[in-house]
Amino acid sequence: MSLINITLIVYVIASVAYIVREIWRSGVTKWISLGLFILGFCFNLAMVAKRSIEAGHPPFSNLYESLIFYACCTAFVYIIFEFVYNFKVVGALASVLSMLILLYATLQDDTIRPIMPALKSNWMLVHVVTYMLGYAAFGISFVTSIIFLVVKPFARKGKEGEKAEEGKEILPRNFDKLSYKIVAFGFPFLTLGMITGAVWAKKAWGDYWSWDPKETWSLITWLAYLVYLHTPLVLPKMNINKSKAAVILAIWLLVSFGIVNFTFMGLNYLPSAADSEHIYGSQ
Amino acid sequence: MKAETKNNIKQTDKGQTNQYVRKGSSNKVWDFFCSVKLAVVIILILVVSCIIGTVILQEKTFDEYVARYGYGLATFFKITQLNNVFYSHWFSFLLILLCANLICCTIKRWRNTFLQTGFVLTHLSLVLILIGGVVKFQLGVKGGVNVYEGKSVNYFLTQKIDRNGKLDYVKKDLPFSIALDDFILEKNEPKFQLVSYVKSKDRQKVLEVKLGKKQRVPGSDYKVTIKDYVPDAELKQEPVNASDTPDNPAIFVKFFGSEKVAAEGWLLAYDRNSYEDKKQGIRIEYIWLSSQEELDKALHSVEAAKAQLSVSLSGQTQDYPLDLNKVFKFEGTDFTVKMLQYVHNYGDRRPLGEQPPDNPAVQVEIKGPEGAETRWVFEKFPDWDKMHPAKYKNLKITCSGIAGTYMAKNTVRIYQTPEGKQVLVYIKDKQIAETVPWELEKKYTIPDTGNEVMVASYFPSFDFKKEVVKKSDEVKSPAIFAEVEGPSGKVEDWIFSSNQYATWYTDNNFALVYESTGESIKHFTSKLRIEENGQTVAEKTIRVNDPLEHRGYVIYQSSYDPEAGTFSGLQIVKDPGIPIAYSGFGALCFGVVFIFYIKPFLRKKLKKEVEE
Repeated sequence: MSLINITLIVYVIASVAYIVREIWRSGVTKWISLGLFILGFCFNLAMVAKRSIEAGHPPFSNLYESLIFYACCTAFVYIIFEFVYNFKVVGALASVLSMLILLYATLQDDTIRPIMPALKSNWMLVHVVTYMLGYAAFGISFVTSIIFLVVKPFARKGKEGEKAEEGKEILPRNFDKLSYKIVAFGFPFLTLGMITGAVWAKKAWGDYWSWDPKETWSLITWLAYLVYLHTPLVLPKMNINKSKAAVILAIWLLVSFGIVNFTFMGLNYLPSAADSEHIYGSQ
Repeated sequence: MKAETKNNIKQTDKGQTNQYVRKGSSNKVWDFFCSVKLAVVIILILVVSCIIGTVILQEKTFDEYVARYGYGLATFFKITQLNNVFYSHWFSFLLILLCANLICCTIKRWRNTFLQTGFVLTHLSLVLILIGGVVKFQLGVKGGVNVYEGKSVNYFLTQKIDRNGKLDYVKKDLPFSIALDDFILEKNEPKFQLVSYVKSKDRQKVLEVKLGKKQRVPGSDYKVTIKDYVPDAELKQEPVNASDTPDNPAIFVKFFGSEKVAAEGWLLAYDRNSYEDKKQGIRIEYIWLSSQEELDKALHSVEAAKAQLSVSLSGQTQDYPLDLNKVFKFEGTDFTVKMLQYVHNYGDRRPLGEQPPDNPAVQVEIKGPEGAETRWVFEKFPDWDKMHPAKYKNLKITCSGIAGTYMAKNTVRIYQTPEGKQVLVYIKDKQIAETVPWELEKKYTIPDTGNEVMVASYFPSFDFKKEVVKKSDEVKSPAIFAEVEGPSGKVEDWIFSSNQYATWYTDNNFALVYESTGESIKHFTSKLRIEENGQTVAEKTIRVNDPLEHRGYVIYQSSYDPEAGTFSGLQIVKDPGIPIAYSGFGALCFGVVFIFYIKPFLRKKLKKEVEE
């Protein structure tokens, strides 16, 4: 049984455990589900470490490597959030998300190849890690938005906008506020990722910004979340009630996460991608 | 309440310095420029524009657009500047508008408090970055140049799409010259991969080269185990004697011409049993006879053996002398046999007299209960019909002595029998000139020539011993010993990376190839020297990610000559806007960290203090 298969299975079991925990709430189910998720994360981390040692370079040189690292970051960020926000059902979907990322990784070419000269830089480490952490946070906000939209129709009227009490668990009907906090956590990472990318680009290729598809799409991603952060200031002035505003914002987050994944993986399908120096992630 | 009154009350309530109080209609304009709504709208338009800019190819020549999108769309793109979105007039206008919005926003919401640091930094940083971009666009240059080793350049080339939409190069002078003293290209160790191929599924899969691990080829019943690995291997084939039974007799013959060895090699009785020196008209043959009678016959006749065809069916054998177009009946059956033609060397287009007896064969026509069949019978390959489709599979046909009519001017026949009789027969001009018994390691002169012949060794059962030898410890030409388990059982063999052909499993449905994945570049560096007025003013060995800066110009290692590595591709950039843009970057980084991490933490602290 390969390491990747073990990790996938543990993520699936963890996901089930979270659903069980949602139904039977107790200290036992809490620790079992969290424990399983942490176990999945540990296996994922082991995969990343093993690959790094075997390849002799950090796992960022091709799509397979980036994906296993991305799954790992998603799990890591989720675990932190669970401690901070006392999640329950979010864990089920977060685990599924990590699992799906890993599953997509299994479809990729995992041949170990020596790293290109252009990628031999400390900037790459900072650039990729910050981006992965940002993307991981956005993945969690994607999950909370889904839950919010699913639960919203069933939420009792009048309880909207109720502030969560300190330390107490945030209810799914208030996940719109939660999503905002998660995006707020991830946004600086995205910004740092973009800027370190620009500085590195200048060192390697002479220009910090050349409007190449990958750079442009990373900007589009950044702008999408920038819009999300500013929209709550605009919508009330447009006479849209809080409830509707929350739905619009949640949907926007779903779209934005789609943009994140397109920036990360979908670019290779663009005709302009062939010209780009940036798309070695597809090798 | 009117908008401006609300603002005034808000500001005076907080006791802040109120810098701007505007009255009348200008307030609306001001409000417009300060609004977050404007920002969101601009950003959304930018998002759409950026997407368009990545979907439509940018900055190509007009002809390329026509080729790709058709004349109509190409013209449309040109007019709307969608062929150069990011530098178009409307995009630039959007950015200027955004700049104004940012500045107005910042001014309007200025509170001069510490908590506002993040807000101010992030918004003004974007303004700085945009200004830096403008400076780069107006005052910056970017281009490239190839420098050959030992030479220097004092200019570089920039690309430009001219008014007609055609690609043009503009030469820009440098206030110094760049000399390439040395260009170093380092390649990685060659990597190898084991690829499996399943013919029935037409599928290839790369397998791991891991010793001892039994791998199942996905989607098939084949399992491969690598049992050994040699990083630099060579297959050495050495002739050995397998046993004392003369089932494959061979002799090592040395042919001398005036003292020196002119040629030497193995002659195999059942395979390649002759050597010919065409220049001198000398031919040496090694013939294995099965009895004393045959030897007696050989000593008195020039013909090596009678040419004949042997046909066998269910244990019964009949021999027929070589006689073309005569129909022979196979007694006791319904079969007839007819010899149509014969050659001394199958596939040789030369006339019969010129063909060397390397692959003698007879073409035979068999008529039987199921009709006629034509097949070739090869003297040296009696089992050929077993491996090839035949109508009458049970009918086994062999031939011998077919090339007996071939003769060189001078022929030396080396005869041997199982009883140990060894005789040399010299044949000159189709007549037996001399017969001499021979021994190992003795030289015998060929009459009327200046040549000698010697039998150096004799192997009754000649075979090749294959040995895989390790040439070195470096990974150069590796080989693996693989075991394949499949429907025909377990088969194992060495597979060499130097072998460009696949190694097939016995069922001919599965193959393995051990191949090089090509050499990849480890790194490439250029040793550069900057000269001004003949003096060296700067030196650096640049590599990717590590450029050389001089006089505002930054010189990057960009590429190299892909064929021979004789020139180094440099990218040269001058950007006076860098300090501005980088300040913006720094401010933005600090700003976002402040807003989302520091400020909430401080707010919480403040709240606690207020509550206490």
